Amino acid sequence: MKENKPDAMLSIHGITKSFGNNAVLKGIDLDIGVGDVLALIGGNGAGKSTLMKIIMGIHQPDDGTIQISGKTVRLSKPAVALAHGVYLVPQEPMLFPHMSVEENVLMGFSGNRNELHKRLVELIKHLDWKIDVYRKAESLSIAEQQLVELLRGLMRSAKILILDEPTSSLTFNEVQSLFAIIDDLKKKGISIIYITHRLTEVFEIANRVAIMRDGIITLNGSSSEFTREMLVKGLLPDNTKEAETIKESCYIDRSTAEPTLVVENLCGNGFADISLKVYPGEILGLAGVVGAGRTEFVTTIFGRDSVRSGHVYLNKNEITGKSTSQVMEQGLSYVAEDRFLNGIYKISNVAVNTSASNLKNMGRFLLNFREERKLADRFIDAFRTKVTGREQVMGSLSGGNQQKVVIARSLATNPKLLILDEPTRGIDAAARGDVYAIIERLKAQGLAILLISSDMEEIVELSDRAMTMYCGRINKEFQKGEISQDSLMSAAFGIVERSEINE
Amino acid sequence: MDKQTLGKKLFRWESALVLLLVFEVLVFGAINPKFLMPRVLLGSINNFMSICIVSLFVTFVLITGGIDIQAGSIVGLTSIVIGVLWNDGGLNIYTACLVGLLVGATCGLLSGFFVAYTGVQAMVVTLGGSFLYSGLALAVTKFSSTESYKGISGFPESFTAIAKGKIFSIIPNQLVIFIALVLFAYVLLHMTKYGRKVFLCGVNKNAAEYSGINSRLVIMSTYVLSGIGASIAGILLTAYLGTAKTDLGKEITLPVITAVVLGGTSNLGGTGGVIGTALAALLIGLLRFGLSMADVNTQYLDIPVGVLLVLAVAARFTGSNDKIRSFFRRFRVLFSK
Amino acid sequence: MNKKFQLPRAATAILFIVALFLGIGAINPAFLSVQNIMLCLNSSVVYTVVALGIAFVIITGEIDVSVGATLGMAAAGGGTYIRDGNTGTGVLAALVIGLVIGLVNGFGVTILRIPSIIMTLGINGIVRGLIYVYTDGKWVENIPFEFKALSQAKAFGNLTWFYLAALVVMLLAYLVMTSTHRGRYFIAVGDNAGGATLLGIPVVGTKLTGFILCSVFAAVGGILYVSRVGFITPIAGNGYEMKVIAACVLGGISLTGGVGSVVGAAAGAILMASISRVLVFLGLPSEYDNTITGILLIVIVVVDALVQARSTEKVRKERLAAKTNSVLETAGEAR
Repeated sequence: MKENKPDAMLSIHGITKSFGNNAVLKGIDLDIGVGDVLALIGGNGAGKSTLMKIIMGIHQPDDGTIQISGKTVRLSKPAVALAHGVYLVPQEPMLFPHMSVEENVLMGFSGNRNELHKRLVELIKHLDWKIDVYRKAESLSIAEQQLVELLRGLMRSAKILILDEPTSSLTFNEVQSLFAIIDDLKKKGISIIYITHRLTEVFEIANRVAIMRDGIITLNGSSSEFTREMLVKGLLPDNTKEAETIKESCYIDRSTAEPTLVVENLCGNGFADISLKVYPGEILGLAGVVGAGRTEFVTTIFGRDSVRSGHVYLNKNEITGKSTSQVMEQGLSYVAEDRFLNGIYKISNVAVNTSASNLKNMGRFLLNFREERKLADRFIDAFRTKVTGREQVMGSLSGGNQQKVVIARSLATNPKLLILDEPTRGIDAAARGDVYAIIERLKAQGLAILLISSDMEEIVELSDRAMTMYCGRINKEFQKGEISQDSLMSAAFGIVERSEINE
Repeated sequence: MDKQTLGKKLFRWESALVLLLVFEVLVFGAINPKFLMPRVLLGSINNFMSICIVSLFVTFVLITGGIDIQAGSIVGLTSIVIGVLWNDGGLNIYTACLVGLLVGATCGLLSGFFVAYTGVQAMVVTLGGSFLYSGLALAVTKFSSTESYKGISGFPESFTAIAKGKIFSIIPNQLVIFIALVLFAYVLLHMTKYGRKVFLCGVNKNAAEYSGINSRLVIMSTYVLSGIGASIAGILLTAYLGTAKTDLGKEITLPVITAVVLGGTSNLGGTGGVIGTALAALLIGLLRFGLSMADVNTQYLDIPVGVLLVLAVAARFTGSNDKIRSFFRRFRVLFSK
Repeated sequence: MNKKFQLPRAATAILFIVALFLGIGAINPAFLSVQNIMLCLNSSVVYTVVALGIAFVIITGEIDVSVGATLGMAAAGGGTYIRDGNTGTGVLAALVIGLVIGLVNGFGVTILRIPSIIMTLGINGIVRGLIYVYTDGKWVENIPFEFKALSQAKAFGNLTWFYLAALVVMLLAYLVMTSTHRGRYFIAVGDNAGGATLLGIPVVGTKLTGFILCSVFAAVGGILYVSRVGFITPIAGNGYEMKVIAACVLGGISLTGGVGSVVGAAAGAILMASISRVLVFLGLPSEYDNTITGILLIVIVVVDALVQARSTEKVRKERLAAKTNSVLETAGEAR
C-alpha cells in the first residue's frame, strides 16, 4: 500500500558498488521524503555503511543515480554532498582529538567566529546536553564524542541527516533527548536516515522502515505495516536453518560444587564492589548497557588495568592483579569486545591468529609449525569456519568467521574459564547461530563461561544465571527462569525495585 | 617453510628482487667485463658491508612499526670505543670488541626503552639517539692520546685479517660473515617464537597484549638487536679499514632504511622479511659499486638509488590503490571497445 | 563553563628557551648580553626559515627529509646566477627549484600514496646526486660582496633584516594557521585526516600545499645560506633535515601531526642554533654539541610523553569513576 508521497527529498535508483570482486551493493532503490525518518536496518556486511558513504560522497557508485529534491546530482566528494545538505554522523566519532569541542564542531565553517560560538552555545542549551565547549575532544567519553558529532550535523542545518547507530553509546536520558530532537527536525522538514540494530527504536522513532540484506533492500515501507517478527524475518537469509541449540537444563548443585571463578568485592577503574561466582559447566550472563563497566571489570581481571581493592580467585588460586600472561597461564581466557581493535591480526593468516595466545606450547625456541598447523586445522573443523584454508588472510574472512578464529585462539590454551565479551557483535545471523552452538558445546564440556552482552535476547537464550551491571556495580541477580528480556532491560537501565537494592 | 603474513606477496617481491639483482649484474658486466670476475664481484661486498649488516637488524625494528635512524652513530661509537680501549686502555682487541657489542646493545636498550615504555615516537627518540651517540663518540676521543680526526690505527694482523681475509683466495671473509648473519637473522625472525612475537606486535600491538605477549619487552628488544647489529658492523668496518674513527657510520642511515623498505618491509609494521632486506642491500650496494666501476662519479650514485626506491615503492603502493586500479580499468575498457 | 587556560605547546617551548638562557646566564653572565642574544637569533635564521617550512608538513602528519638537499640545490642553483651578477634570476631559480621539489614530493605522497618518509628519502638521494651533477663537484664561490652584506644588514639594534623578516613570516603563518578558515585545515588534517574528509576538508590539497610550502621555504633558506655563508659546497645543507625536525619537536610540534604551531618551530630553531654557542659560554668543548642536542631532544620528548600519558590516564580514571559514582544518585529510583 503505497501512499502518495510528496516530492522525495532523496531518491536513489539502481545503485551498485563493488570493491574488487566483492559486490557490496547490488542495485539499491530507495526514496526518502521530506520530514521522513527512515530506519535502515541490516546485518553486518549488508552494505549499509557503503551506501551511506556513497550518499556522503566518500565513495562513487559503479552504476545508478541519485536525486536530491528532484535534481540528479553527482556526489563526487564529501564537500559536494555537504553543499547539497547531506550530513553523515558516523558511528565511530571522528573528532579532532587535540581540538576543543567548539573547534571540532565549527571546523569547516567560514564565518564570524563569535556568531557561530553563540549559535553553538544556544543549540547546546536548547538540547539540554551537558557539554563544555572548551574541553579537548580526547578527554570526552565515547558517548560525549557522539553527541559532538551530532552537534556538527545539527549546526550545519542539513536537509538530509544520516545517523549511523547514534544511540549505541548513549545513556537512557541522552537517548530520549535525541529522540526529541529528531521529532523536532522531522517537523522542520529535515529527512533523517536512521541506521540501527535496535528494533525497538524503529517503532519509537521512525515512520518508514527499510531492511538491507546482502546488498539489496528486502523490505521497504511505512513502519506501521510491519511487526517485529516480520523485521527479523527480513533480516535472515531465506532458508536459515534453525541453529541446533542443546537446550539441556543445567543443574549445578551449588552447595557442593566448587566455583571456577570467585570475585570478592573487586574495585577498579570503572567498577566497584563486584562479587560473583561462576561454576564449571554454566554460563553466567552479565548484562548491561554500553558503558556499564562490564568490559572494564573483565579486562581488569585479565590484567589490563590495575585493581584498587578486592580479590579474584581462579580454582582457588589468587589471580588478583596478575599480568595477562600469568592469568592466562592459570586458565582464564578472554575474547575481547572490540574484535577489530584488540582481537584480530588482520594481515596475518588464520593459523597465526589461532596460535597467537598459545605460543608457549608451540615449541621451545623454534616455532613448531606442525603443531601450529594442527591446532588451526583442529579448530577450523570443530567450528566449521568457512575458510579456504588455514593460510587465508584474516582480513578477508567475514565477521562471523573472524570471531570463530578469535574464540579458537582463546580455547587453544585449554582454559578453565572463558570470558566472552559481546561475542556476536557485528556478525550475521547465520554465524551467530554457529557461535551459540559452539558456546553451548563448551558449556557441555564443563567449561565455566562468563558471557557479556548488550543483546538481551542473547543473554536470555544462553545464560543459566544472569546479572546486570549498572554504573559499575552489580544491581540485580537472576536465576534461570527469572531471566527475561524485560527484566534484564529494566535492570540494565538502572530500574530496580527498591527492595532489591543491597545496601 | 611456512611463510606467514602475506606470504605469497612477499615471495613474489623477493623473486622480483632476485631478478633485478641478476639483471643488474649482467648489465654492469656488459659495461665492464671485469665486473663479472668472481674476485671482483664477490669482493665488492667489502665496500658496502656495514649497510648490509645494519639493515638486517633494523628490519626487526621496522616490523614492529618503529624506525631506527641512530644505527649509523652506533657504528662510529663502537669503532672509537674499541680503538680507545685497545690503544689507550691496553685491552686485548677481542675483549674490546666485546665491550663494543655491549655498547651497541646498551644504546639500543636506552632508545628502545623510551620507545616501548614511555610511548615516545621511535623517529624522535632515535633522532635524539643519533645526535647523542655521535656526540658520545666524539667525547670518547677525549680519553685518547690521538686527535679525534686522525683515528686510531695499527691494529694487530689477526684482527684486520678477519675482515680482509678470503677463503680459497676468492670468497671474502665478510661475505661469509654476512651469509652467516643472514641465516641467523632469518631463523630468529621467521622460525622462532620470538620472531613470531615481533610480527604479532607489529600487526596489532593491542591484540598482542591480549594474547599475553609482553609487547613492550618485545619492541624494546628489537632496538637492542639493531644496536648490536650496528656494533657488529662497526667492528668489521674498523677491522677492514684498520682504523677506528668516530664517523665511520655517518652516511649509512638513509641507505639502510632504503634497503629495508625496498626489501619489502612496510614502515607501518607487520610485514617484511630478512631475505628481502638482504637482497635489497646487495642490490643497492652492487648498484653503487657497479656504477663506480662504470666510471660514474661516486657522488652521483645516490640518484639511481633514490629513483629505485621511489619507483619500487610507488609500484607496490599504487598497485594496491583502488582509485588508480579503477583508472587503469577504465583505460583498458576504452581500448577494448 | 570556564575556558580552561591551557598553555599552548609553543609557549612551553619559549618558556624553556628563556629558562635555558637565564640558566646559562647565571653561570656566565656574558651570555645574556644583548649582543650575544642578537647573535643567537641572527645565526639561527636559516634554521628558522627551514623549520617554519617543515612545520607545515609535520603538522599535517607527514615528514620531509629532503629539505637539506633542497636547500643545497637551491643554494647551488641560485648561487651560480648570483655569482654571475643576476641576483633576481638567482632568487627566482632557487624558488622554482623549491617549487618543483615540493610538487614532486607532494605528488608522490598524496597521489601515489607513497609514505612520506620513503618518498622524501628517495628524493633526498636524487637531489643530493643532482647537486653534484650540476656543480660538477666544484664549489660555487665568489659571491658578490653586496649580496653577502645583505645578511649582515641590521634592522634595529643588532637584529638583522633577515631575522626580522623571518619573524614577520612566522607571525603571518601563525595568524593564517590559527585564525583563517583555510589555515586551520593544516592542523585538522594532521589531527584526524579521516574526520577532516568527512567535513569536506580537502586533505590532498592541504598536504600538497604543505609540501610545496616546505620546499619553497627550504629554497628561501638556501638563498639566505648563500648570503650568510658566501660559498656553496656540494654538501651544503647536509644534515639540516635532522636539525630542523629536532627543532620542531623541541618546539612542541608532534611528529604524528595535529599538534603544535610555527611559533614552536621558530623557538626550536633558536635552540638548535644556540647550542654550540651555549657550549662556548659554558666552557665546554665543541665536541659536546651533538651530545647536548641528543640529550636535550630525548629528555624533552620523554618528559612530554610522560606528562601527556599521565594526564590522559588521569582523565580516563576520572571518567570511569564518574560513572560508578553516579549510581549513588540514581539508586532507589523505583518505577
